Amino acid sequence: MTLKKRDVWPRQGWRAVGDPKVSIKSPLIPFVGALASVSIALLLYPHATTGFLTLGIWAVLLAESGLVKVPAGSGNRLSLAFIIGAAMPILLINGTQPDLASTGFVYAVGLLILGVARVIRGDGLEHVHADVLRLGVGVGVYAMTYAVIADILVTGGGLAWMEAPWDRLIAFVGAGAVWFIIEAGLWAVMTTRERGLSWRYLWLLGLGDWMVMLSMMATGALFGFSWEKLHIWAVLVAALPYGFAHVAFFRYLEAKKTYGQTIRALSRIPEVAGLALEGHSDRTSSLAVETAQDLGLSPSEVTDVRYAALMHDIGRITLNEPSILRRGFTDEDIARWGAEIVAESPYLAKVAGLVARQHEPYRRPGEQRDPSLPTASKIIKAASAYDHATMELGFSPLEGLEVLHRGAAYDYDPDVVVAVRRVLERRRVV
Amino acid sequence: MARRTTKSRNERRAKIVIATLYATGGLLALAMLALHESFPPISLWLAFAAAFAFFDWRSVEVNDRLMMSPTVMVALTAAVAFGPGYAALGVATMAALGAVSARDVKERRLFQPVANFGQLVVTASSASLVVEQFVGIARRGAPGAYWAWIALGSALAAAVYASVNYAFVAGAVRAVFGQTVKPWSHMSELLPSYLGMGFVGGLLGATLLQTRVVLPLVFVVFIIGYHEFASFGQLREAHAATLRGFVKALEAKDLYTRGHTERVAEFSVLCAQHMGFTGTRLERIEWAALIHDVGKLAVPRDLIRKPGKLSSEEYRELQRHAHVVEDILAEVEFLRPMVEIASAHHSNYDGSGYGGVGHIDGEEPSLEASILAVADAFDAMTSTRSYRMALSQSYAFTELRRNAGKQFHPEVVEHFIAAIGGTKRRYGSPFLHDPEEARRMAEARVESRG
Repeated sequence: MTLKKRDVWPRQGWRAVGDPKVSIKSPLIPFVGALASVSIALLLYPHATTGFLTLGIWAVLLAESGLVKVPAGSGNRLSLAFIIGAAMPILLINGTQPDLASTGFVYAVGLLILGVARVIRGDGLEHVHADVLRLGVGVGVYAMTYAVIADILVTGGGLAWMEAPWDRLIAFVGAGAVWFIIEAGLWAVMTTRERGLSWRYLWLLGLGDWMVMLSMMATGALFGFSWEKLHIWAVLVAALPYGFAHVAFFRYLEAKKTYGQTIRALSRIPEVAGLALEGHSDRTSSLAVETAQDLGLSPSEVTDVRYAALMHDIGRITLNEPSILRRGFTDEDIARWGAEIVAESPYLAKVAGLVARQHEPYRRPGEQRDPSLPTASKIIKAASAYDHATMELGFSPLEGLEVLHRGAAYDYDPDVVVAVRRVLERRRVV
Repeated sequence: MARRTTKSRNERRAKIVIATLYATGGLLALAMLALHESFPPISLWLAFAAAFAFFDWRSVEVNDRLMMSPTVMVALTAAVAFGPGYAALGVATMAALGAVSARDVKERRLFQPVANFGQLVVTASSASLVVEQFVGIARRGAPGAYWAWIALGSALAAAVYASVNYAFVAGAVRAVFGQTVKPWSHMSELLPSYLGMGFVGGLLGATLLQTRVVLPLVFVVFIIGYHEFASFGQLREAHAATLRGFVKALEAKDLYTRGHTERVAEFSVLCAQHMGFTGTRLERIEWAALIHDVGKLAVPRDLIRKPGKLSSEEYRELQRHAHVVEDILAEVEFLRPMVEIASAHHSNYDGSGYGGVGHIDGEEPSLEASILAVADAFDAMTSTRSYRMALSQSYAFTELRRNAGKQFHPEVVEHFIAAIGGTKRRYGSPFLHDPEEARRMAEARVESRG
């Protein structure tokens, strides 16, 4: 299933080769950004229907929330500005219509204060303007989409079938979704160079943070909708649910980290016991991950490959000496024992499946290739063999690759071998 | 922890009594409310009842058999939204419907749903009656104080909900299992969330009265509340899975260790409970006991199974391997305190060490490490080794007492003996009181086989 993705995605799979690289290093950008926000604020202010003091307080609040960041599963860090940002067009209204001028003024001034505050805090100029730019594009698109949807629902084509404030709710849902998609996209484009991965891959990864985004935006909207009637009590109504969400994210991240640390610790044990070559699981894992990304596996499949590759030799701890054949044990036994250990955590059931099958040849004599064998298992088999050949048998990288090519009849899937070759070429070892 | 497998007749009788009592209370409460209150608008009731049932069905196990869900939030939101004259009946009927949980269905249990029906109905209606009072006061009072009254009422109702619920559950546990509910681990973390959710629920209900449009957002908040508990369950599961992984790895290496690890964990928990440990501290010692032998993972198997005592050279080799594994284990953050206990349990109370290893910093080992040391030594004496048959419990007790103050912490030894003696179970051989004899018997056994 995964190999076919190569037809859809470019030949390089998920690596960032040939992707557009966005560079925003010009020293002019902060000044242009500051100038732009000042002029937007000045242009919009005469049209705003809300008082200057109120708008100023919202702007400061937006800047303040932008200083607090929450780590998300993808590695993106989402600031609490999403809460205040989402609330603004809901909260600032002129009768029943969204007050776009006031909203835009708050955004422009808030982001300006945020940028200055972060520079003063010493966050590094290029980080600051990348973040503020991203946030600025995001809120801009959010407010526009919000206004357009609300307008269509209320006046569009004389339909006028939607009563206030339900039109605002629907406008929020639509505009929020657009903001999230854009935010993830911008983050992907801006970090593609740093991570060496295709922006498409990072975008998919970023969209996986939807739970974090949903809870931030929903609490923002709750705040916006209840402000009119509850005033200061609205803060409590929205802040406590956000607090629960915040605690939940950190626990989920903590759980994920625990699995990662456990797998790493377990993978090191056969090595310190002298039952596997020092560093074998680490090297196999990094080669397997790059190969998997090259073949276009999805982000979650790549994570499974990373874990399974780290654990592929864990079954060896049952052994007494490195030579497995001397006692009549086979690679299959090792794989089975390893899978049993991994299967102790239901969260890693998929990884256990990969570990169980990582010794299998991709096809047997006289048979077609086995369609049920996961690509991930085939990748781990090839990566492990390459590391064995180069590090344990002392072959050169080219000879190691040759071992894979020679085994391509049964042991190593030719598609995987070609991918390994591409990875090694990119690493400039062959 | 060990789970009960045998069902005594007393337990069954207590279950029937409790279930009947609770269910009668629930039915009575429903009947009284039906006479005095009217039913809330059906569409709103359906939405909340569905949410209540959904979250109750998906309760998260946050601790051993302790289930939590954001139903308190749903109940109080509904109570405020229904308003005086409707709230208690509306919420009590919601709770009645939500009494069955997924676990009950999966395990085909009858006692839990029937008892839960009664306790949830009474819990929900008493909290709702509190809400009704305060909403009434808020409506009659000055407009400026409206939100303050709502907030106060929500906080009180949440406290009532939590304590009534707790009283019912604790009563059932005491009647059926003869145990008092002790403070569970991370209670101080979970209880505020639970109360906070009830509080927010009340405020959300009042918001809903002002602007109906927030209804979908209120349901998102319910989901957030669910994730608060679900994330705790998942983190707990990640920790448990880590321990299981290491224990399984150890078993794969050496099957003997399996029973040993489990027994040492059981003894340590019994002793720690006797010493008054509860909650997180109790859990930590159980976990430390489960990993106390993980150091063996890197030791050649021949050395682990070597008959007789090890030479000091071999012992040092063993220690070196064990330390390497402990270093690796300490890379898993949450295991660090457990690794500390496990690695300290080899050092003696008076500072002298086996194989010349004393305390590194001259301090005496922590109570946890002392408990683990006693439990480990007790199991070593009362189980059969390749070179010696199992010795009797009374011999092991004498031996522990003899070394109290030297190898072992004297108070821990007394607690340990009282705790193990209190279980009325006998460990080890019923008659072998002499280690020499036990050794000869083991040799004889080997010879007769070989």
